[in-house]
Amino acid sequence: MRTKNFQKQLVPYLFLLPGMIFLSVWLVYPMIQAMNISLHDWEIMPGRTSPFVGLAHYLQASTDPLFWSALRNTAFYALVTVFGQLTLGVSIALMVDRLIRGQVIFRVLYYLPVVTSWVVVSLLFKYLFNSSPAGFINYLFVDVFHILSSPVPWLNEANTAWVAIYSLGIWKGVGWTMVIILAALQLLPEECFSAASIDGANDFQSLIFIKLPLLLPTIILVFIMLTIGAVQAYIQVALITGGGPLHRTDVILSYMYYLAFNDLDYGYSSSLSFILAAIVFVISQAQLRLQRPIEMTAGGN
Amino acid sequence: MKKSHILISIVIITITLLSACTSTPAASAEQKPEIETVVVKETVIVEPTPLPEGPVTISFWHTYNETSPESKMLNETLIPMFEEQHPNIKIQALSVPYEDFHRKLVTAIAGGVAPDLIRSDIIWVPEFADMGALVPLDEAMSDFADYQNSVFPGPLSTNFWNGHYYGLPLDTNTKVWLYNKEMYDLAGIEAPAANISELDGQCQALKQADPDAYLFATDGTFAWTILPWIWSMGGDVLSPDMTTATGYLNGPKTVAAYELWLKLYEEGCMAPVVLGNGVDVWTGFAQDMYANLDNGPWTYPIIQSQFPDKKIYASAFPAGEGGSIDVVGGEDVVLFQQSQHQAEAMEFIRFLLSPEYQLKMAEVGQIPVLADAANSDFMKNHEYYPIFMEQLKTSKARPAHPNWSKMDQIITDAGQLILRKELPPQQALDQAAAKIDELLK
Amino acid sequence: MNRKIMERARQIGYTLLLALGAFITIFPFIYMISTSLKGPLFVFELPPQIIPKQPTIQNFINAWTSNRFGDYFFNSLKVTLITTILVVWFASMMAYAFARFNFFLKKPLFYLVMFFMMMPAMTLIVPQFILAIKLKVIDHLSGLVLLYIAQNIPLATFLLRGFIEQVPVEIEEAAKIDGASAWDIYWRIILPLSLPALATSAIFVSLGAWDEYVWAMTILNNPEVRTLPVAIAAFQGTHNSDWGLIFAASLTAITPIILLFIVFQKFFVKGISAGAVKG
Repeated sequence: MRTKNFQKQLVPYLFLLPGMIFLSVWLVYPMIQAMNISLHDWEIMPGRTSPFVGLAHYLQASTDPLFWSALRNTAFYALVTVFGQLTLGVSIALMVDRLIRGQVIFRVLYYLPVVTSWVVVSLLFKYLFNSSPAGFINYLFVDVFHILSSPVPWLNEANTAWVAIYSLGIWKGVGWTMVIILAALQLLPEECFSAASIDGANDFQSLIFIKLPLLLPTIILVFIMLTIGAVQAYIQVALITGGGPLHRTDVILSYMYYLAFNDLDYGYSSSLSFILAAIVFVISQAQLRLQRPIEMTAGGN
Repeated sequence: MKKSHILISIVIITITLLSACTSTPAASAEQKPEIETVVVKETVIVEPTPLPEGPVTISFWHTYNETSPESKMLNETLIPMFEEQHPNIKIQALSVPYEDFHRKLVTAIAGGVAPDLIRSDIIWVPEFADMGALVPLDEAMSDFADYQNSVFPGPLSTNFWNGHYYGLPLDTNTKVWLYNKEMYDLAGIEAPAANISELDGQCQALKQADPDAYLFATDGTFAWTILPWIWSMGGDVLSPDMTTATGYLNGPKTVAAYELWLKLYEEGCMAPVVLGNGVDVWTGFAQDMYANLDNGPWTYPIIQSQFPDKKIYASAFPAGEGGSIDVVGGEDVVLFQQSQHQAEAMEFIRFLLSPEYQLKMAEVGQIPVLADAANSDFMKNHEYYPIFMEQLKTSKARPAHPNWSKMDQIITDAGQLILRKELPPQQALDQAAAKIDELLK
Repeated sequence: MNRKIMERARQIGYTLLLALGAFITIFPFIYMISTSLKGPLFVFELPPQIIPKQPTIQNFINAWTSNRFGDYFFNSLKVTLITTILVVWFASMMAYAFARFNFFLKKPLFYLVMFFMMMPAMTLIVPQFILAIKLKVIDHLSGLVLLYIAQNIPLATFLLRGFIEQVPVEIEEAAKIDGASAWDIYWRIILPLSLPALATSAIFVSLGAWDEYVWAMTILNNPEVRTLPVAIAAFQGTHNSDWGLIFAASLTAITPIILLFIVFQKFFVKGISAGAVKG
C-alpha cells in the first residue's frame, strides 16, 4: 500500500524529469554560475587560474559609464519601441476589426515582418539607412519628400542610428501586437456594444469607455511581453551598428557580449548577466502581482 | 580499424603505420626525424590516440572572404595541388571574417578545438606566442633554417617572440597611393601628389569640378589607416623600445597628422566613410566619388571583379617631413600546440612557402615573401606589383607587442573622437597615450 | 440612410489607411527582392530603381553555389527538427504534470518555468558558453540543440499547460477506471487531443530554432556545422558588402518560412492569441 502510494506520488515528477534536466543543466546551473563567475577574474584559457575578486565587478559596473549608458539605451529603446508598437498595433487592430472584408489579408501583411528572421531584417535596415545619397531613406527624405536638405550619415552617429534601430524595432513588432489585440477584440461579447448603442452611445464613446477598458488586461499583457522583448534587443544593434560608434549604441546585452567575447572579461560580463537576470526577476514578480487583480476587475463585466 | 586498448600496442602499431607511410616515394627523408618526435609524444600522452584511419585532415583558418579571388585560388587550385602531392593529408580551409577572427580563435583555443594552422595577421603572433598557444617552428621544423634564409627578413621578424620563431611569413603587403585618373582629368590635376602639402590644392581643384567628390577615402581611424600619415609627417606612436607612448602618440608631429585629417574631413576632402558607414572605398573609387585611396594590392582584384572597366593607377604615398612611409602588413602561418597532426601540418607549411604557392597567390594580390619568387620576372613585369615592392622598401611595421590589439583600439577610438570634434586632437591623444602607457607596463 | 453612408465612408477610409500602412510595412521586402536582382553597380544607384534596369539572377546563383550553402540549409533543418520534436515532447510531458497533478513542489517548479520564460535568451550566454566548453560541445550541432531545447521548453510548457487545462477530464477519468496508467493517458488521450496546441508550439519552436543567431555564431566556427542565419551574416564583407548577394541568400532563407506562414497563418494567429488573450 505504501509503495503504491509512493509510486503514485512519483508520477508527476517523472513527467517533469526530462524537461527539468534540461532546465537545470542549461538554465538553473548557469544562473548560479553567473554569480560564481562574476566573483572571479575568470580565465578560459586552459592552464590559467581565475583569481577571486569578490564583488569587485559589481562595483565596477556601478562606476562604469559604458554600463550606465547601455542601461539607459536599453530603457529608451524599450520605451520608444513598446510605445510605438502598442499605439500602432492597437490602432490598426481597431480598424481591422471593423472591416467587413480584407481582415485576413491585412493580418497576413502586417504580420510578415514578425515571422522574418532578425538577422535578415537587421541587414535590410542597415542597407536602407546607408549613409550614401543613394541609400533608400536618404533618397526618400532628400529627393522625394524634400524633408532633408542633404543625405544623413545615419549609422555614423548614435542619435541618428537610433532612428534606424527604433524604426526596425517598431516595424518588426506592430503586426504581433495587432494580431493579439484583434483576437481579443473579436472575443469581446457583442451584448456590451448593442446595449451601449441602444443607449445612444456613438462609436467614439463606445471605443473609449467600453472597448479599451475591456481590452486592458490584454493590453497590459502585451505591454509586458513587448517590454521583455525590448530588453532582449541584441541582434539589431549588433548587426546595424555593432554597438558603435564608441559603444554609444550599445544596449545592455550587446555590451555584455562585447565584454565577454571581445575583451575576454568573463567575470565582469557575468556580473552584468546577473544584474539583468535580477531585473527580469523583479519585472516578472511585478507582472504576476498585477495580473490577478486586473483579471478580476475586467472579468466582472 | 579499431582502437587498441593498451598504450604500448598503440605505440607499436603507430610506429608501424607511420613507417609504412614514409616508405612511399612522396615522403622525403626529412620525415624520419619527425617520427621520432611523434613517438616520444605518444609515450607521454596518457589518453589513447586514435589511429590514423585514412587521410589526416588539417584545418587551416584564413580571413579571405568566401567568394573572393584569393579564396577561389586557394580552394580550387592550390589545395588540390597539395593534396595530390600528399594523398594522406586533406586540407580543410575555413574562411573566418577578419573582425571575428581573433575572437573565434580565442574561443576555439579555450574550447580545446583550435585549428591546426592559421593564416594570422602579423600583429597577432606575439600575442598568441605569449599565450603559449603556438609551436616554436624553429625547434619543431628541422629544416627551418632553409626557410629562414629564403624569405625576406622583415616579414620573418614578425614571427619572432621571446627568443623563438613561432611562424613563417606567408605574404607581405603594404599600401600605396592609388589614384583615379578620370577624376584627376576632370579636375585638372596633373599628377598624383608627391608631397602631402599638395593635397590641399588638389582638393580645391577637385571640389571646383565636382562638389560631391572626395579627394581621399579610407574606411576607419585604425592604426593601419592613420600610421602612414603619422610616420610620413615625422611622428610615431610608441618609443622605439616600446616602453612609452607619451611624447610620441601625443607628440607634436603626430598631433599635426591628426590635425591634417581633421582639416581634410571638415573641408569635405575626406569621405565620411572614415566614420564607419557610407559608400565603401572600392565602390566609391570605381564610381568616381573618391579620387585617391591608400590601399593594398588586393584592391585590384577586388575592384576589377565587380567593376571590370575601372582603371587603377598607383604612385608612392605622398611624402612628408619623415619621407614616404606606409605600413607593412602581411600574414604569417602559425601552428597551434593543440594540433593533433603537427607533422602533417608542417608539410602544409612547407607547401605554403613553396615557389608554386607563392607565385600562384601573387596572381590574386598576395605579394610573395620568398625572395626568389618576389624577384621573379613575373613580379617584375607585373601590372601593379612593382610600385608596391618599391614602397615596401620604406614601409614600417607596427609595434610587435602582445597588447597591440588593445593599443590599436585605443588609437582607433581617439581618431573617432577627434574627427567627431568631441575632443581637440592634443587632448584626445594625451588621453590615449596615457591609456597605452598602462598597457606597456 | 445617414448611417449607411457613414458606415461606407468608414469602410473605405479604414481600408485606405490600412492599405497605406500595409504598403509601408511590406515595402522593405519589395526593395529587398529588387536589390537581390541587381548587379553590384546598381545596388547604390541614384535614383534607386524598384524595378532593376538590368535584372540578373547572378546573385542567387552565387549564393546557392557558394561553398556550402546546401550544408547550411540542412544544418539549420536538422537542428530545427530535432529541437522541435524534443521540445514539444518534453514540454507536453511537463504541461501534463502541471495541468493534471497536484504535488509538493508544483508551485515553485511552475514559477521556475515562468521565470525562465521571461528571461531574455542571451542573459546567461557567458556561463552557458563556459559550460559548453566543459561539456566539449563547442563547434558541434549538439551544442546548439541542447541549449535550444532548454530555452524553448518554458514557453512551450506554459502554452501547452494552458491548453491541457481546458481539456475536459471525463475521458481521462474513464480511462483511469479502466486501469490506464498515467503514461497511457498522456500518450493516448492528452497528446491526440492537444494536437492544435502541439502544432502551434511546434511552429514557434521551429521559428525560434531556425532563426537563432547569437548562440550559433558564438560556438560554431567550422563551416560544416554552420547554420543559415550565421551564414547570411557572414556574407557581409569586412570592408564592403555585396548586398545583392546578401539579399539573395536572405530571400532563400526566409521564403520557406513566409510560405509556411501564409498557408498556416490560422495556426500562428490562434497560437499567439490563445497564449496571450487567455493569459
